[in-house]
Amino acid sequence: MTRVVRALGTHTLGLLELLGAMALLQLRITRALFPPRYDARETWRAFYKVGVKSYPIVIMTALFTGAIMVIQSGHFVAKSGATSFVGWAAGFAVLAEIGPILIGLMFSGRVGANNTAELGTMVVTEQVDALRALAIEPIHYLAVPRFLAMIVMLFLLTALGDLFALIGGAITADLMVDIPMKVFLRQVFDAQLLDEYLLGLLKGSFFGMAIAVVSCHYGLTVRGGATGVGRAVNAAVVAAAIAIFVADFFVGVVWTVLSK
Amino acid sequence: MSVSIRDAGQEQLIVATGLYKSFGGEPILLDVGVEVFRGRILGIIGPGGVGKSLLMKMLAGLVEPDAGDVTVLGQSLQSLNASGLARVRDRMGFLFQNYALFDFMDVGQNIAFPLEQMGVPKAEITRRVAERLAEVELPGIERLFPNELAGGLKKRVALARATIAGAPILLYDDPTAGLDPVTSSKIFELIRRLHRPDGATVIVGHDIDRMVAVCDEWLLLHEGAVLFRGTTEEGRASSHEVLKTFFMETGMLGAAA
Amino acid sequence: MSSLAPTPATAEPQKRAKRPIPRQSKANRPLLYPLAAFRRGATLFLETLLWCIKPGALKRRRRQILEQLFVIGNKSVVFITVTLGVLGLISVFQVLVQVERILPDFSMIGPAFIQIMTREFAPTMAGLMIATRVGSGIAAEIGSMVVTEQVDALRMCNADPVDYLVMPRFVASVIQTTLLSIYGCVIGVASGFIAAGLFWNIPAGTFFNLQLVAYGDVVSGLMKAVAYGMAVPIVAAQAGLETSGGSEGVGTATTRAVVNASFSVVVLDFLLSGFSFLFLSKGPM
Repeated sequence: MTRVVRALGTHTLGLLELLGAMALLQLRITRALFPPRYDARETWRAFYKVGVKSYPIVIMTALFTGAIMVIQSGHFVAKSGATSFVGWAAGFAVLAEIGPILIGLMFSGRVGANNTAELGTMVVTEQVDALRALAIEPIHYLAVPRFLAMIVMLFLLTALGDLFALIGGAITADLMVDIPMKVFLRQVFDAQLLDEYLLGLLKGSFFGMAIAVVSCHYGLTVRGGATGVGRAVNAAVVAAAIAIFVADFFVGVVWTVLSK
Repeated sequence: MSVSIRDAGQEQLIVATGLYKSFGGEPILLDVGVEVFRGRILGIIGPGGVGKSLLMKMLAGLVEPDAGDVTVLGQSLQSLNASGLARVRDRMGFLFQNYALFDFMDVGQNIAFPLEQMGVPKAEITRRVAERLAEVELPGIERLFPNELAGGLKKRVALARATIAGAPILLYDDPTAGLDPVTSSKIFELIRRLHRPDGATVIVGHDIDRMVAVCDEWLLLHEGAVLFRGTTEEGRASSHEVLKTFFMETGMLGAAA
Repeated sequence: MSSLAPTPATAEPQKRAKRPIPRQSKANRPLLYPLAAFRRGATLFLETLLWCIKPGALKRRRRQILEQLFVIGNKSVVFITVTLGVLGLISVFQVLVQVERILPDFSMIGPAFIQIMTREFAPTMAGLMIATRVGSGIAAEIGSMVVTEQVDALRMCNADPVDYLVMPRFVASVIQTTLLSIYGCVIGVASGFIAAGLFWNIPAGTFFNLQLVAYGDVVSGLMKAVAYGMAVPIVAAQAGLETSGGSEGVGTATTRAVVNASFSVVVLDFLLSGFSFLFLSKGPM
């Protein structure tokens, strides 16, 4: 019994410590933004790298996501015969919930994991110490540019990915559910899903922030050589996935309560 | 096959001809031939990154050459199927540069692994593992895990695993990489002791001072090709610039002895 | 030194022979990368299947399979509880806010939610989480074994890396993904009910109603779980086995495993959803 309590206590403390460390990192990043104290060129480079690296996988994922949601709502239609329901259901699910989540998860795997591996390798090879020796603050030089890049890029990629998801949905509606592309898109527009679209974009921005802080934290705290980097990447993608779902929950609830 | 006349009458355990290998368009080995004779110890030397370890892995069939052929014990590795390759590998022991000890097994299980794969009875395995550990002067450490051991000890455990099956052909890939001088001497002493007169040993290494005391023959790789092949005396006698840097500067210790 | 057998030989450096023409691989063209990778993945999959059906194979690797069953389950239970729990809460919450505006009748929300959880979200989200959690682990593990030459050492000992490393993970993953999908479905539905009961006072009897869950939905969900359970370890192991170049290589392999495994879950979801829509439900043919 004491063993269980002790294990529980250790885990709780560990979790709190982790959350505290991430909050602190978030705070230091925010402080570096006002007034701006970060490397502008490095930020520009980070924007480019993050965007280029992730857009193919995001677009592919979005196309499939739209298609899957149309098939799934098609199931209900096949039973109830309410064809006009497909546009609303698929559009709502894609824009408000599944689109941002899947795009966020893919982004986390592509960009977040890569970021952890990159920062981790820099730590292990003492490049971060070298920066400090040159009186360059690693947070300003490394973390802030990636933080900004991930927020902005995931916002933009969600905006773009949602459109591709609707295209994927329209193609599938035409080919599999016997709803012409035009009719499907008409339905989506008629469903007045602008609110959901904006909610999705807001979620995307928060996911970007969560992925950035989580991946930077795990990258900058790597210890123990090559195996340490592997372990950190593993831990970072898992923590980022949890962060995405938790952020999804809170943003969704707050948005719904405020817009009621 | 480019077997030179001088070697006629001596049995070759490994013959490799025309080995070519490139990575991403960058050729590493251009046209390399190797012969390993029964009863001899061959040292493969050369500057870092020249492809010595790669060549060694080709001799064991772990890396397939883009062109060329490796024949071990009269069997061409490229033409063998899985079970044929397995039979050839049963007669080879390989010591890896990075120890390559299985970190999910303890020392005893590591050394026993090749025998288990061959289906040797359990009691005999236990006996032979203990024997082999005593031979590398590490008796009774079966229950420790590789990450609890220092580099030199790991090397010796890896040496025990490579030789446990009694394979006649032993391949050592940089056996003293990253080890201190005392440990290195010990390792080479073990290598000499484990060499079988009816088998053959190949050593890839940098530590020419110590290798001179062990190796009968040399193969110097330079810029993707074999620059020199011969005995220590021949290496010393040569007036070639690269050969000189290898044998003059590093080989004098052995010559004086 | 005196024991050296004298060998007559030329000490002269050998002339470099003419360069042989190497066998060029067609896979060097960038456009064919994904195709070539897919083919290698398919080969690995078939190889693994062959090792699975080999007589006595499962018995021989029983210890490793049990070990992997434990590792995968232990790694994923908490993770899936949290993620599917949150997903269930937020989905029901958002849908109810919408439905409230259109219909006053909430009686079909529970059954419809249970149906779509069974058919789609439970297996797919569990699959994505396993791709993230387990896939990256497999790639990191096998990748570092490649870098430290342990995989070469296995081959030298005549232990096939596919048989020894991939097959136990494959078998364990298929079993655990199926079980965890079922578990995730229960968690998702339960947390969905928490949202429905807490905010809209929908009674349990109305919510937990299986009237919409048909045979086809269960088959579709299980089919997906098994397919993800097969795809994730293969994709991840392939990334691990193709690791090259030191500690950075392991990081790259891990990253690639997460993306490729997640993406293969999405693609399989699409294919199997389409399949079950066309053939398992009474949809338009």
